[in-house]
Amino acid sequence: MTAAGRAASVRRRVRLARGPVTIGEPAAVIEARLASGEPYRPDTVADGGEAFGLTVRAASVRGLSKRYTGGPRQDDICLRLHADSGTLVAAVADGVSGASRSDLGAALAVRYATAAVARQLDDRCASVDWGPVFEHAAWALVEEHRRASGDASAGVDEAGRSLATTLLVAAVRGSDVQVAAVGDSPAFVLAGKEYDSVVGSPPESADGLVGGGVESLPRFGGADAVQAARRQLDRGSVLLLCTDGLALPLAGGTGEVGLALARELARPPDVVDFARLLDFSRSTYDDDRSLIAVWGPGLS
Amino acid sequence: MKIKLPTGVPEATGEVADPGSPEPIEPVIPPPVTAEPAAGEPTPAVVGQVLPMYFVGDESHSMAGEPIAAVNQGLIDLRDEVAKHPLIGKKVRFGIITFAESAQTRLELSELSEDLVLPTLSPRGRGTSYASALEALRHTIPADVALLKGNGYQVHRPSVFFLSDGLPTEKADKWQARLAELKDPEFRERPNILAFGVGEADPEVIGRLASSPRYGFMMTSGASTAGAIAEFAASMLNSMVASAERLDRGDHTIEFEKPEGFVQLDAPLV
Repeated sequence: MTAAGRAASVRRRVRLARGPVTIGEPAAVIEARLASGEPYRPDTVADGGEAFGLTVRAASVRGLSKRYTGGPRQDDICLRLHADSGTLVAAVADGVSGASRSDLGAALAVRYATAAVARQLDDRCASVDWGPVFEHAAWALVEEHRRASGDASAGVDEAGRSLATTLLVAAVRGSDVQVAAVGDSPAFVLAGKEYDSVVGSPPESADGLVGGGVESLPRFGGADAVQAARRQLDRGSVLLLCTDGLALPLAGGTGEVGLALARELARPPDVVDFARLLDFSRSTYDDDRSLIAVWGPGLS
Repeated sequence: MKIKLPTGVPEATGEVADPGSPEPIEPVIPPPVTAEPAAGEPTPAVVGQVLPMYFVGDESHSMAGEPIAAVNQGLIDLRDEVAKHPLIGKKVRFGIITFAESAQTRLELSELSEDLVLPTLSPRGRGTSYASALEALRHTIPADVALLKGNGYQVHRPSVFFLSDGLPTEKADKWQARLAELKDPEFRERPNILAFGVGEADPEVIGRLASSPRYGFMMTSGASTAGAIAEFAASMLNSMVASAERLDRGDHTIEFEKPEGFVQLDAPLV
């Protein structure tokens, strides 16, 4: 190779693709402000890899709105492996913006919920008993509120004002998927271009308008309020766990966002590319977004 | 965005006070529209999400002078601030309906861009017809929601900021019947109504208008009406920004903090 050729190849290697992935009309370009506050909440987290024949990608990105104001990312994700049973446990949570420390609420909920599932798997449970999983996560929020406020008698209402969060949890063993949710963070199975809704309330209420109040932890109606489902993950299909920051623009998967995601997730992207895809720019959609994607066994 | 003025309403003169009073125009009210697409029509592809917000303002003669000037300045500031914000301008749609003895749509639901020409409100007519304002909302809101949905928008529950300085001049059962229609749980697009009373407004009436007891506000007695209106307008702007920033949460409630110089009518008064 000539010196000039070597220089060109070096230049190509270090060139970055700048700017966000755009789907439809882009959102405004803004200068993101670092979020201050405790605990440290990075703008973006990304994870992924293989375990037990499953392939997983996970990311949580701060929305433009919070990047603009300097607020913390209020979504969170967690992945946990249970080696004895060969199970991947995954959770996403969306802190309720009206609650003052809901970023911490989301972070605690995903960690405590996945730990609670793992404990049931230790006991060789064939089916996850979801009620205690959500109650355990809810109790962690109450305990944290009591610790932080110094009010040992504080209950779910007081804790909800500071730490309220939705929660979606899945346990995946081979092609067997168990999933459960409190709130509007939904799960889908994507097969080709089809998004099959598994759990999580739709973004539009019965009135045909977006929203309608959100169920959240720690105050929820106990085991009866948990939406739970079990699915087989067919070869080539992908389990998607997300927050409404993605579910709203996804709009059931029939539009531009659905097509773009279906095309790009036909095979697992690199971890950082996955996060970049999730951080797509689209006018009026500026909430935090989280997505965990799980490809079943037999991915060629 | 191009703004269509209703027939008969003079072209807005921007920020210069309009010296003349436009003749009151009876709005031509079309039959209520359902926001659902007709059977068999394809659902349009989703392009974005929007929050419709309406200012419903008293244009009766008692608002003459500083109060109406404060309203006009507040609307200009609102437009300029929202237009400057890089994110929420695209998410909010703003409309203006005024009322005196009749209601007029002075600004159809619009994007608040910096080149948006605002109407200049000026006192007109003899009466203060709450019924006409409430009826105009009942007809306008579903039509606006249907239009937005037809254009591919996901629509959040609309909000109304209602400002009056006086008592309704029609019989109570007339405006209360219109209010009941607007708040009817069967009315799918029923808005959140925040009601503000200044001057001679009746706290009991203002409390009734609000869609929740905590959404009714009355000017502190003895305060300046124009000053209270300026505070109201600033709070309307803050509410718009805060609500649009938290839009994706999809809550029914609207973000709002009590303006300076007002008391919250947070107990049922009737």
